[in-house]
Amino acid sequence: MRRAIALLASVIVITFGFLTLTGLIVGEDLGFLSALAGAFRVAELTSVFLELVVVTVGVTIVIGILNLLMVHGGRVVRARRGWPYSILLLISALAVIALTIAERLALLPAVDGERPASMILLETVQVPVESALAALLLFSLVYGAYRLMHRRVTWTNLLFTLVLLVALLGALPLPGAGISLLASVRDWLMAVPVSAGARGLLLGIALATVVTGVRVLLGQDRSYRD
Amino acid sequence: MQLVSILIILLALATYVIFTQIIRRRRDVPLRPVQAFEQLPLMVGESIEAGRPLHASFGHSGLGGDDTIATLAAAELFYQVAQRAALGESMPIITASQTSALPVAQDTLRRAYLSRDRLGNWRPGNARWHPAPSQPLAFAAALTATIGDDRVSGNVLAGSFGPELALVLDQARRRGTRSVATSVALEGQAVAYAMADSPLIGEEIFTAGGYLGDTAGQRATIVTQDILRWLLILAILVPVANTLTDGALFEAVFRLFEGR
Repeated sequence: MRRAIALLASVIVITFGFLTLTGLIVGEDLGFLSALAGAFRVAELTSVFLELVVVTVGVTIVIGILNLLMVHGGRVVRARRGWPYSILLLISALAVIALTIAERLALLPAVDGERPASMILLETVQVPVESALAALLLFSLVYGAYRLMHRRVTWTNLLFTLVLLVALLGALPLPGAGISLLASVRDWLMAVPVSAGARGLLLGIALATVVTGVRVLLGQDRSYRD
Repeated sequence: MQLVSILIILLALATYVIFTQIIRRRRDVPLRPVQAFEQLPLMVGESIEAGRPLHASFGHSGLGGDDTIATLAAAELFYQVAQRAALGESMPIITASQTSALPVAQDTLRRAYLSRDRLGNWRPGNARWHPAPSQPLAFAAALTATIGDDRVSGNVLAGSFGPELALVLDQARRRGTRSVATSVALEGQAVAYAMADSPLIGEEIFTAGGYLGDTAGQRATIVTQDILRWLLILAILVPVANTLTDGALFEAVFRLFEGR
């Protein structure tokens, strides 16, 4: 039975995968291929599939909310470590959901003339917390570079730290010949080696994505076979 | 451009199919050592011995967007980790900020436990959604809480992360836990290189199945990637060499063919 289900899943994946790929990749100037895709209305089918994907991803939000309630509810019931935070999270989540429903049903008038209360809540709680974390991030990054050298001094680590220092110092808005020289070095670094390295990494990821995509299209991915 | 895309896909398809058959016949494919893949079984061993869970995270990657394939690649890595960890009592925790990655996380853990015939130990609650898809720093804060509250023994962070990965890795270091990290986003990749105990670079995340798994198809993925990479290098270098020699290179090649 399990094998039959796996086979069915693979057939569905391969069929939908190839149809969608064909619809996305074959345009109007490929002669016979374009005529074939047009005859079978592959482009229309592809757009229907993509709409289905959007709807399915939308449904997963419900799964996410249920997961959140289940995980934190379970933590409170079992009094596991950090359970008071879970209570806080559950109360906050339910309050925001209730607030948003009330706004949508026009039961709650917009505060401050235009902005809804849920938006004000987001701006007064979420944004300051994020700003504080962003400030911490700088220290974490600099400390990370220090740790890199502390762990083991290698040529690559040395180069990484040197480039980091040049990039940081070169970005300083200070007057002086030294700083302007560093700024020029920084600009060159960003335009040539950093850009080349970044493109190399992205090309490698793109090729790997194509190969992994081919595996999925052939039904070789584990999630369809098991 | 469409034709080039089709040719690349067909080339990848043909190379993959051919090398799967070759590797199926002679299984010993030499692979260069990758420190992170050597560390992972040790991390799982530590997790089992300490009775503490491993933490894996998809970051901001999910299904239905640009990161779909990266999500599937990360899921394969997590499957390999979870399958080894299924021998112990502490089930790994998988976190995601996109809801579309949540079913993938649950299914990855379920399949790993099913493969060890220990489905009774599987708990769907160990796949967790931290709702912060547009607030990466809030997600990082949630991960630091997971590392502390669940007393995780190690972290495998693979998917899409930005610079906020630094906060998570810093927390992991403070807790004395080891981390394997990578990101398909360049900012996260740089942070992973600087701060993770064992970083995975670039496309290495896509080779997890080949290194940690044992099927011919997974190993053929690595060979196919290498062949495509060499072809790409040639496609870049040959026109450059031709330009540097004022077209003499291509002329010489044409003359060689005409002579024949």
